[in-house]
Amino acid sequence: MKSGDKRTVWIPVIVGFILFVIAGVCAVENFRETRQGQVIHFGMIAGSYWDVPTGSCYEVIDAAIRRFEEKHPGVKVTYTSGILKEDYPEWLAEQILLGKEPDVFMVPAGQLDILASMGVLKDLGRLMEADKEFEKEEYYPAAWQYGNIRNTQYALPYESVPTLMFVNKTLLDKEKINMPGADWTWEDFLSICKQVTKDTDGDGVIDQFGCFDYGWREAVDSNGATLFEKDGTISRFADSRVESAVRFVRDLNGVNEGYVVTAREFDQGKVAFRPFAFSEYRTYKPYPWRIKKYSDFEWDCVKLPSGPDGNGQSALDTLLMGIGSRSRQETLAWEFIKELCYEEETQLHLLEASQGLPVLRKAVESPLLKQVLGNDNPGNGNMDVEVICQVMEEARETPNFRLYPAAMSLADSEIGYIISGERSIDSGLLKLQREVNSLLRQ
Amino acid sequence: MAATGGSDPEKTVTDMSRERIITNLQQAVYILNFVAVCLVAGSMALSISKIVDAMEAEMFLSLVRVRPWKPRTMIVMSVTSYLCLVMLSCVGQLWQGKGKYGRFLITAGEMFLCIGTTVAINMNYNGIVLLVVVDMVRGQKGSRQKVILGIAIVGLYTIINYNLTGAYFNMIPWESYLTAYSTSTQAFLKGTLSVFSSMNLVLFILYMTMLIQGEYRERERIQNLNEQLEEANRKLKEYAEEAEKNAEMRERNRLAREIHDTLGHSLTGIVAGIDACLTMIDLSPEATKKQLMKIGKVARQGMTDVRRSVSKLRPDALEKLDLEKAIVKMLKDTGAASGADICFDNQVRPFKFHEDEEEVIYRVVQEATTNSIRHGHADKIRIQVSKAEQWLTIHVTDNGIGCKNVEEGFGLKHMGERISLLEGTLEYGSQEGFYIIARIPIRWGEEHQ
Repeated sequence: MKSGDKRTVWIPVIVGFILFVIAGVCAVENFRETRQGQVIHFGMIAGSYWDVPTGSCYEVIDAAIRRFEEKHPGVKVTYTSGILKEDYPEWLAEQILLGKEPDVFMVPAGQLDILASMGVLKDLGRLMEADKEFEKEEYYPAAWQYGNIRNTQYALPYESVPTLMFVNKTLLDKEKINMPGADWTWEDFLSICKQVTKDTDGDGVIDQFGCFDYGWREAVDSNGATLFEKDGTISRFADSRVESAVRFVRDLNGVNEGYVVTAREFDQGKVAFRPFAFSEYRTYKPYPWRIKKYSDFEWDCVKLPSGPDGNGQSALDTLLMGIGSRSRQETLAWEFIKELCYEEETQLHLLEASQGLPVLRKAVESPLLKQVLGNDNPGNGNMDVEVICQVMEEARETPNFRLYPAAMSLADSEIGYIISGERSIDSGLLKLQREVNSLLRQ
Repeated sequence: MAATGGSDPEKTVTDMSRERIITNLQQAVYILNFVAVCLVAGSMALSISKIVDAMEAEMFLSLVRVRPWKPRTMIVMSVTSYLCLVMLSCVGQLWQGKGKYGRFLITAGEMFLCIGTTVAINMNYNGIVLLVVVDMVRGQKGSRQKVILGIAIVGLYTIINYNLTGAYFNMIPWESYLTAYSTSTQAFLKGTLSVFSSMNLVLFILYMTMLIQGEYRERERIQNLNEQLEEANRKLKEYAEEAEKNAEMRERNRLAREIHDTLGHSLTGIVAGIDACLTMIDLSPEATKKQLMKIGKVARQGMTDVRRSVSKLRPDALEKLDLEKAIVKMLKDTGAASGADICFDNQVRPFKFHEDEEEVIYRVVQEATTNSIRHGHADKIRIQVSKAEQWLTIHVTDNGIGCKNVEEGFGLKHMGERISLLEGTLEYGSQEGFYIIARIPIRWGEEHQ
């Protein structure tokens, strides 16, 4: 018995020693980490999020970091520079796997749902409630809602880009047609398209077109239709507003008599209209891009034409910022994300140095927008600032649930058949709704 | 005795070797599980760095849709909680049989750490549960504990089972991690783990077999001992009976001797004297008168002798002490022997009576107390002695089980006989225990002898 007792004693002794060593190593690591001081890691992409050329992608962020560090002495904000937009999701995934995800980071496009359901993003509800100064009403609703999944706010909007309508002014002038106003409708749009679609050189082939790239998605948005329930469980493709949008696009395509307009014809100035992201407008309108691209014609942007049931709303693309749920500096991370997404100074800076629009009402409505747009385009007809405010206000939130891209690509192909006349509109849309709903149930 | 004594050391030797085998098996289980935990946790942590190196992180995450733990946390957590589990298991063994709550706490801690370890390795190895089961089985006693044990084991298995609860715990299957390795490495790792799992199972079964066998032997040994004890008991009873018989025989012999020596001697003298008188009475009435006086003297002498003999049969205590002291001593001895709480309340002063009365009082108290303890299983007995006019009342009550239909046994009958000799009365019955009331008329006025 004695020897048996001895044998059972040496195991706890060895185990205890190993545990002691592990605890020691962990304590040392912890000590080293705390000695580094308070550091906020920030994850961001280099270049433009909006796929347009940009010169100074770090300018706004650097300025915001500077201000934040001044307000919080002893705190440092670091970021890894040079991660391109296409590499960013992989970089972020790697950091997540290694357990080193940044405290505050840009949410890669379309990944809010998966990051939230993996628990990577912190639920901001508690932080927002605790912060008395914070008012979510300051944000445009579509931008705000984009960071919300299943009634939980996982991210704050940082910058938004609405869709506008590019107008080839030279072409309209030539055809003696006035620039459309902010309240133009599908009928106006269709009639202008019919007017300008013609064979100008007399070779029997149409070589001047009404529009390029205007698809059913733009029509659905501008007709005020909603394709999905907020939680992404049910689709509403059979809605009459969707039906009229698809019918309108079919009519619009019919004008071209089967000819498929390409980007080349658009660049050559042979097309009157094209849906255009605000970021492109901001990029190509000022010098030197104004000269380099579309040099043969004058152009401007207006609101999208409104459908019979809609108001010319457009989809809003939004860049989101989130806080890592494993962040050790929750309060500082919240302060920093607020510095980026809620501080008027940062948001105004976006107007000057970035291609998108701020997400705060007071920043968009500030006189700076008019000034900036005027500087871009001296001596030329300017975008009406009020129109931009209206577009932002009315913009439709893009759904952010996980299966949205899959559902939309299924819809793209089905509606393609409908528009090309291979299927009837009402039964085709009903079938599509059924198929999408079964996809969403997965 | 000699036969059983011969097999005993042999038994201890096999017990000890079984003990050693069990200890060895336990250690093997500890080490095997440790290697398995390290293998799973290590391969998981390493696969993460491989995935990152291969730039497949986004693909991996979109596949598993769960954020894995930090590689370092994974290793530290699994190894630490496993080692803590081993530590607790060893402590549980060293503390075996010390306190029910300590045992319970240790088992709960082991279950918690088992869940912790298994979750830290994403439920990709659940052999640790066997280790906890072994500890629980060894510690259990009684059938109610068996039920609790069964529930605990089933519950633990349910929690630990990946297929049942993995999705709720956001666990990532090992196969997903393994995709980072080449096919041959994957096969090697899977094979190694399955070997560990099977070996763990084999060791578990071996261990349980040894444990159950040990328990069976133990039970056998206890049964054996029980039989021996019974045998000894029986013998003891025989000895007691024999001793009693011997004592009776001795007493009889003494009585016979006594009668022969005293009464016999006197009667012989008296008979001889009377015979002489019968011959002499006609010849010389004077001489006869003298002779009769002599005979009377012998008869008186004989009576004194008989008295002396009878007084030798009195209780020892009464012989040496006065009645009250004798009763108190007897009650004290009885109380100490039986553990009963006996209260003697005497209100009669002086407590001095005729010898025959004292003896009856002594015997009544003794008999009543013995009855209460033996038949009533009482642990509180109250004896009250009081007097009213010439009556002395002894009132004995107890808190025992009493008796519905009182069957007059040897004791009560004797008691009644003794009392009725003194023209007293005896009353008894059941009422919240048993009670006896004895009333004895005392010859107060007469002088004590």
